[in-house]
Amino acid sequence: MPCAPDNIMMATPTNNSLPLKSGDFPTLSVALDYAGAGHTGCNFYSGRGKLTHTLSYTDLREQAQRLARRLNGLALPRGSRMALVADTTPDFLRFFFACQYAGLIPVPLPISLHLGGHEAYVTQLRRLIQNCQASLAMAPEGFEPFLEEASSGLNLALVGGPEVFASLDETQNSLCPLASHELAYIQYTSGSTRWPRGVEVTQAAVMTNLSGIIRNGLQVRSGDRCVSWLPFYHDMGLVGFVLGPIASQLSVDYLSTRDFAMRPRSWLSLMTKSRATISFSPSFGYELCVRRLGEDAKEQYDLSTWRIAGVGAETIRADSLLRFAKALKPNGFTAQSFVACYGMAECSLAITFAPLSKGLAVDRVDGDWLSDKQEARPLPTSLTKTDLQETRCSKFVNCGTPLPGYEVQIRNPDGHVLGERESGTIFVRGASIMRGYFNDPKLTSEVLSSEGWLNTGDIGYWINNSLVVIGRSKDLIIINGRNIWPQDLEFLAEQQSEIRPGDSSAFSVSDPDREELAIMVIQCRESNEEKREQLVNRLRSLVFSELSIPCHIELIPPRTLPRTSSGKLSRSRAKADFLKRVRWEELALLSKTHT
Amino acid sequence: MTTNADILSQLMEILRPFTKEGHQLREDTKLVAELGLDSLQVMQMLLKIEDHFDISIPLNNLPTIQTVQELVHEIEALVKA
Repeated sequence: MPCAPDNIMMATPTNNSLPLKSGDFPTLSVALDYAGAGHTGCNFYSGRGKLTHTLSYTDLREQAQRLARRLNGLALPRGSRMALVADTTPDFLRFFFACQYAGLIPVPLPISLHLGGHEAYVTQLRRLIQNCQASLAMAPEGFEPFLEEASSGLNLALVGGPEVFASLDETQNSLCPLASHELAYIQYTSGSTRWPRGVEVTQAAVMTNLSGIIRNGLQVRSGDRCVSWLPFYHDMGLVGFVLGPIASQLSVDYLSTRDFAMRPRSWLSLMTKSRATISFSPSFGYELCVRRLGEDAKEQYDLSTWRIAGVGAETIRADSLLRFAKALKPNGFTAQSFVACYGMAECSLAITFAPLSKGLAVDRVDGDWLSDKQEARPLPTSLTKTDLQETRCSKFVNCGTPLPGYEVQIRNPDGHVLGERESGTIFVRGASIMRGYFNDPKLTSEVLSSEGWLNTGDIGYWINNSLVVIGRSKDLIIINGRNIWPQDLEFLAEQQSEIRPGDSSAFSVSDPDREELAIMVIQCRESNEEKREQLVNRLRSLVFSELSIPCHIELIPPRTLPRTSSGKLSRSRAKADFLKRVRWEELALLSKTHT
Repeated sequence: MTTNADILSQLMEILRPFTKEGHQLREDTKLVAELGLDSLQVMQMLLKIEDHFDISIPLNNLPTIQTVQELVHEIEALVKA
C-alpha cells in the first residue's frame, strides 16, 4: 500500500485536469478509467482529524487492475460473488473495483460496531455469505477472524485479509470487465438480519441512476468536493459517496462511521478543513451533531462552502434539521442548502430530489383527516396555537420530483392510481430498478411486477409533481438511522418458551419529540407477576444484545392481538390499539425510561 | 504505572452516568445486555474512555468485549502498548 510519510501526505485536489463528465459511462470500470486520467481521488481521515490515507483515482485504477489480474488467476466462473466486509478503507475500493475489472460481483457486507456482539455478528456474516453464495471473501485487517469463523465449512475458494489476495500470482491475460448488461454489485440493505435480501443492481441500472443524481439531482460542477461518513455497505454510502464521486471525478474525504458516531463534530471539522460542497446524512446524523455541539468551540467551523446538505434514508424530521441550521448559521451554514431526497437500494439509490438552494418544503396537514380519509388536507397557515392544539398537525417534508426516466405512481390498496394529495403506496418503474433479489424469485415477484413496477412499500402523496413521503416501508422500525425489521424482534420473542409463534407484534411509535421507540406487544398466558416480569427483562436484554436497541415490551391477554380478515396479524392495528391504550405523556415517559 | 485496580475504579466512574439508578456495577456486569446501552450510548461511553485513557480501541476488538472486566483488560493492554 503506498503510504507517504505523514508530513508530506496531501489530500487529493478539488480541481481536476479533466473536463467534467457527469456519469455518462456504460459501466463502473469505464467511469474509473476516465476518472483515473485526472488528479482527483479519495482521502481517509481519523476521528481526530488526521489524514491517514489518500488514494488517487489513478492509483485506484492501476491497483484495482493489478488485483483483478491476481483474482483472475483463481479461474472462477464469471459473475462469481466476492463478499467484502466493508470498512471505510482504501482496500474496500481496491477490491470493489478489482471485481469490476475481473468480471466478479462484489457484495459489500456490514462491519460490526456492536460491543459484545461477536456471536450475532458472525451469524449475520455467515447468513449473508451463504445467501449470496460467495466464492471469495475479504475482510479488512483485524476482521479476518470473524470472516474465517463465519465461512468455515462453506467451501469458499479463498477467504482472508487483503494481503492474502495480494500474494496471489498475477495472470497476464487481458482483463474483461463487467459489461453494461451484467451486475455491478449485490447490495444487502434494509432487509431483516434473519432473512436477508440481496438487491441485484446491473451496471446499466446504477449508471442510469448515477447520471440522474449527478446531472439533475446534484447538478455537479467543477469545484465540487464531497465529504462522507456513511457506511460503505449502505446504498447512500456506497452509491452516493463511493461510486458517485468516481462517476463525476470529484475528490471525496471520508470519515469512518464509527468515528462520526463517537465524535459527530468531526464531520463539521472535516467540512471546514476540506471546503467541501456536498455531504449527505439521514436526519439523525444532523440531530446527533447539533446535540453534541458545545458552545465553546463553534467559531472553528466554516461551513459557507456547503451548498448541498442532502437528507434521506429515513423519515425526514424538519424540526431537528432546522435546529441544526439555526445553530450553525453563524458558521456560514444556510438552511437553503438542505436537499430532501427519497430512494432505496432496490432503485440503485435515488428516486426523487428536491430542488437545489430552496431548503426544505414542509407540508402541514390535518393528521386525523390523513389517517381517517387517506387524504393530506393542508392546514391553513393562519392557524393559531389553540387551533393547532385541537387539530393534530402532521408535518411532512416534500422530497421533490422524480429523476428523469422514472415513472412514479401512488396507488390505493385496490391498485387504483391516486391523484393529488391522496395517500397510498408508492410504485416506481424505470431503468435504475434492480433486476431482482439474488436467488429469490418468490420475494422478487412479490415486489416487482412483470411490467417492471416496483412496489416500494412506502406511503406518500403528490403535491403537483412532487412526492411527499409519509413513512418508510410501513412496518420498518428505524432507530438512530438503523433499520430494524419487526420480524427480527418477533423472532426473538418467539424463541422464549412462554411465547408461541404469532403471539407477538413489533412496531415503532414516535414520542412527542419524534424520537422513535420500538414497541413489542406480546400475548402471554403466564399469570404469575414475578414470572411475567422475568420474561420482560429477559427479552429486553436479548433484544439489546442481538439488535442493540431499547424496546418497550408489553404483555397483553391471549387472543387480543388484532388480525386482518385473512387471519394475519396486523402490526398497524396493533400499533393503533397500543396508542389508544397509552397516553401522549406516558409515551414521553416511556421513551425517557428506555433510553 | 496504572494498575488493573486503578483502571477498574476509573472505569466505574466513567460508567456511572450510563448506569440506571439502583443498578449495582460489578466486574462481571454485561455492558450491553445488563446496562441496556444502545449503540449511540456505547459510542458516547467509548469516547469518554478513549479520551480519559488517551487510547483508541480498535473496532475489531469491540465484538468480543462483553463485561466490565473484559473492558478493563482491553484498556490495560492499550495503555501499556
